[in-house]
Amino acid sequence: MGGPTTYTEQELVLALKERNNQAFGFLYDNYAGALYSIIKQIITDNSELANDVLQEVFINIWRKIETYDQTKGRLFTWMLNIARNASIDTLRSKSYQNSQKNQELPDNVYKGVANQTILQNVDNIGLKKVLEKLRPEHRVLVELAYFKGFTHEEIAEMMSIPLGTVKTRIRNALLQLREFLK
Amino acid sequence: MNVQEYIESGIIESYVMGLASEPEKAEFERLCTQYPELVAARRKFEERLEGYASQNAIPPPPEVKVKVLEAIGKSSNIITMQNEQEPARDAKEPARSSLLLRFVAAASVLLLIGMGYLYFQTKQENKDLTDTNDRLKVSLDTTRNVLQRIADEQKDVVSNPNVTVVNMVGTQVAPRSSANIYWDSTSSNVYLVVKNMPKLPSNQQYQLWALIDNKPKDLGVFDATDDKVILKMKNTQKAQAFAITIEQKGGSPSPTLQKMQSLGKTLQSQ
Repeated sequence: MGGPTTYTEQELVLALKERNNQAFGFLYDNYAGALYSIIKQIITDNSELANDVLQEVFINIWRKIETYDQTKGRLFTWMLNIARNASIDTLRSKSYQNSQKNQELPDNVYKGVANQTILQNVDNIGLKKVLEKLRPEHRVLVELAYFKGFTHEEIAEMMSIPLGTVKTRIRNALLQLREFLK
Repeated sequence: MNVQEYIESGIIESYVMGLASEPEKAEFERLCTQYPELVAARRKFEERLEGYASQNAIPPPPEVKVKVLEAIGKSSNIITMQNEQEPARDAKEPARSSLLLRFVAAASVLLLIGMGYLYFQTKQENKDLTDTNDRLKVSLDTTRNVLQRIADEQKDVVSNPNVTVVNMVGTQVAPRSSANIYWDSTSSNVYLVVKNMPKLPSNQQYQLWALIDNKPKDLGVFDATDDKVILKMKNTQKAQAFAITIEQKGGSPSPTLQKMQSLGKTLQSQ
């Protein structure tokens, strides 16, 4: 089956929904790096695991392409969220948690995560690099929400901040983020 | 509602990055259908995020792509083969859909004919079954009547005080042969019940005789197959004894006495 070597997003989505292998190859070549980057920003300490997640993410994209709804956002946004969710699920999986057990045990799990988050900002890549430009109290919240997958309620509890404040700060942080992404 | 204010609330970023709550998502999606500027703002942020992510891409190890293609190859082979069988798939989209439409229409007609045929066939089958059922019912009623008649007859024979039971015992030729004669002396009816008579070759039959003043009178032939069934024989007013002989099929005018199987004397003999 012949076909174009480049696609507009519209063409790409159509071709993927028709199960065109060549289109899928194009998709992988063009987006795997960006998705791998977000996976590695979430799974920071295990490249092997990050590779597995990337593989799982692309297989899921192939399988679930029918459920992609263009009216709700761009294809990349949809894929980015699949990659983020898969990474966070892995981060929270029992096997991953067990592999982390030989590390320091914090007296409070939440506090431990929060501290870890602050300490981890050493060799940041991608979006995390932008986060560094945020004020620390904003940065932590985005870290916890976006890269650790905690709900606003969980963050409010672990940071002892009112839920409304968490929401406002995260929204403000995201607005600043938007400016930095230019 | 002030759309600009809503856009500046951070909801777009929150939604795109997957941080919005379910109610926030639902509201945002609903408002997107009403305010094109909201969609435009969302697109702008999405493009910006995508652009940034692409700039910061990290090339994954090549073996991941191999594994992914292997995994999806297994599931896509069949689909690819199906796709290739469709003629002129991307060249003539309208032709294809009209072809599809015609195919669907043809399939519908076929289905309708099929269903109609099935309906009439089922109806016919149903009628046949009903007919068979009715015939069986008639047959059952007939059989019941016959049985009833036989039962009545038997009751009549057995309980009638005028009926004499003559026990036929085996002779030296056939010591085990036995049968009962129920003889109604008033009506002259003679009934025979075979108790134990050996089976005969197909060219022979048993024949019952009444002995009247030492002369045999033919009372009819019977087969040993009718075991334990009451057989109506020919009538006789008189009989000092009954005898059973083996004769040619259809019976003989006079008994072959050396083949006498069974003999029973009546009260008239005394």
